[in-house]
Amino acid sequence: MSDELDRIRREMHAVLQPPGVRPDDSLQITRRTFIHRSLLFGAASVGQTFAWWPLLNTIDVAHAAEAPFKFAWISDTHLYERSLNTRFVDKVVRAVQEVQAMDPPADFLIFGGDLAQLGKIEELELGVELLKDLKIKKYYIPGEHDWYLDMGKKWGELFGQPNWTFDHKGVRFIGLDTVSRGPDYWTAKKMTPEERMGHMATLDGTVAGAWAGVGREQLDWMQKTLAEWDKSKPIVIFSHNPLYEYYPPWNFWVRDWREVNDVLKPYTKVTNIHGHVHQVLYNEIGSMRSIGMLATSWPWPYAPEGVPKLTKPMIRVDPGDPFDGVGWETVNVNADDKVDVEYIMWGRKEVFVRSPEDHDKSIEEVIQPRIADRQYPWENP
Amino acid sequence: MINTSTFLCILRRSTVAGAVVAAAVVVGPASANKDPVTPKQLKLYQEAFMEEVRKGDLLFHGDAAMAEQLGVKLSTTGWACAMCHPMASDTHPHAFPKFQQSMAKFATLRDMINWCIEKPNQGEKIDPESEAMKALEAYITWSNTGSVLVPGKY
Repeated sequence: MSDELDRIRREMHAVLQPPGVRPDDSLQITRRTFIHRSLLFGAASVGQTFAWWPLLNTIDVAHAAEAPFKFAWISDTHLYERSLNTRFVDKVVRAVQEVQAMDPPADFLIFGGDLAQLGKIEELELGVELLKDLKIKKYYIPGEHDWYLDMGKKWGELFGQPNWTFDHKGVRFIGLDTVSRGPDYWTAKKMTPEERMGHMATLDGTVAGAWAGVGREQLDWMQKTLAEWDKSKPIVIFSHNPLYEYYPPWNFWVRDWREVNDVLKPYTKVTNIHGHVHQVLYNEIGSMRSIGMLATSWPWPYAPEGVPKLTKPMIRVDPGDPFDGVGWETVNVNADDKVDVEYIMWGRKEVFVRSPEDHDKSIEEVIQPRIADRQYPWENP
Repeated sequence: MINTSTFLCILRRSTVAGAVVAAAVVVGPASANKDPVTPKQLKLYQEAFMEEVRKGDLLFHGDAAMAEQLGVKLSTTGWACAMCHPMASDTHPHAFPKFQQSMAKFATLRDMINWCIEKPNQGEKIDPESEAMKALEAYITWSNTGSVLVPGKY
């Protein structure tokens, strides 16, 4: 870990995890959790290596459900036009069919952003067309790939306000827009909308900078939205980016995580569900639990550094199988007031690593940031 | 006094040194590698390397103009190498050559690059000796500068 990242991590830890502060500890054991525990006991050394505690999938939202219910999550479909890439289309079709087939049915779907790859009208409309086959209520939050071609114009026409809130069976749900407040890197360099989008669509680019953030006015809105909400009642917050700091060079964070934490601090049962990372991820920040979801399009490798210690990593995927390492999720709110997130990873039954060699970081690497976008074409106008 | 083994050692060294000199005379200018390297030369060598890194970076990130310039078609799906390998992470150039499960054979980094071009990217395999391949290799290895060699590691 670099000195700078180490300093930031220490600061984040000091700010967010003073002694005694963590999400409500009434974590209850489900069938799925038992499976993980048995693995833990069976492979203690592996457990130590990857810090398999607490267990990934079960999130307590005690006193949540007035009745049990499920909802589904799909995100990061990154659709190109149909004529260019049919694999990504096939995977959305499969996810939609599987969500539609859920029995009992999901109460609603959250689409967690990056419907399109390059923000094109055709891509966004293709997404709408594919998701139309899903008959349940759908809620959308934007991803950066949806936004930076026309600065959210088409996305807004299709899906409306990017941030929203609703209550469902005793849980307050909030959708956040973490993508639209990027710093203006395009005006001074007179970029075309396509160039602006191209830099935003490059995860490891250096030009778009620290674009992920919640923003002051949205934080104020969230504070107002939660003002009357009982501090011990559950809140589920959806965001494209994780609401903590994992790896800023890939915007696996929001830059104003300190302010987000200030707003959420009084509430004891907060769950953040996010996309963008295309990987299994779990973290606890203050009183909030945070869960990363799979993409349907492709899996990102874990970042070179900064993977939360609480994450039980997903298995290293087979690059020859387009359906491996990707999928969707069900979130099941049980009758006994627990929320159980289930990863539906196509291509294999076992989602998590079983041995260090099955982790994509089993080969240690030192990685340099990208160079060409710092040199070309901006230094040679 | 020189014993037999010392004599043979001197003879071998003389033979090797003679061969190196002869090679330099035959294949290069007489002054090649004889003078101490100058800062100017070092700069040129570094620039030559970084130019390949820059080209490889652009290819790796799906830059159409660079692909056209080098006459390659690395993808037909919109997919680029960097979409699975941001900052060339998870490419592990320091672990090659190795038995590569996806190809079921002992493979070099160049073999792996071509496999990714053909399979996930659905592009056209490139000549292992081409400039495009060398540029991709330059970018991938430069991006992993500082990684410790672990050849053969899964």
